[in-house]
Amino acid sequence: MSANKVTFLMRHAPYGSVYAAEGFRATMGIAVFECPLCIVFMDDGVYALAKRQNPTALEMKPLGEGFPTLGEVGVSEFYVHDASLAERGLTPDDLVMGVQVVSSAQVADILHTSGTVLPF
Amino acid sequence: MKIGVMVLEGPYQHQAADSAYHFVRAALARGHEIVGIFLFADGVNNANQFISPPGERNIATRFEELGRQGIEVVACTACAKFRGMRPNIKVEHVQLSGLGALAGYLQNADRFVTFGD
Repeated sequence: MSANKVTFLMRHAPYGSVYAAEGFRATMGIAVFECPLCIVFMDDGVYALAKRQNPTALEMKPLGEGFPTLGEVGVSEFYVHDASLAERGLTPDDLVMGVQVVSSAQVADILHTSGTVLPF
Repeated sequence: MKIGVMVLEGPYQHQAADSAYHFVRAALARGHEIVGIFLFADGVNNANQFISPPGERNIATRFEELGRQGIEVVACTACAKFRGMRPNIKVEHVQLSGLGALAGYLQNADRFVTFGD
């Protein structure tokens, strides 16, 4: 186990609750303290990375385009659960950035080897 | 064991704040150390000193009690701004601070437990 590594587990849709937005904000906020971390997107959380988000009618800002900017604060590990993508008719080409697509077993391994998992 | 705690939900709508409080009490009773409690997103509303539930448990008083015992209880400053939780509205022993406090708990805790929806 990597005692200090934090995994942000994104499981909520980008709109409808504040979880995904706060998960993004927390990731950025923690990353600036040089805490090693990665992000795993699964279930409806995969929608947070979908291209062409347009929440204008909700008077909200699109969340997806923020994630590629996390590279500026040193975040380089982005994992997306393959079955969650497939269940929603999405492919990696539908996402705003390049990610590592991972199986359920790989997600389990990531969570198991993280010191901390923060669910958002 | 050193334990960090985060609460993502506000009072009464969800079980999260209640569960966090009981978890912390139980952990302390077993001799564990709580490195800090971070109230994030709607969790900041648990620190509202004007919470006054007739005949029911007072969730703000619970976190105030933990803070008074010397446990660091921090409500996220930005989340507080979003929700109008001004410094003069919060209970005395919950402090407003940023994600640096959360980063510190993550780094100092042997285990970190999140209570949310």
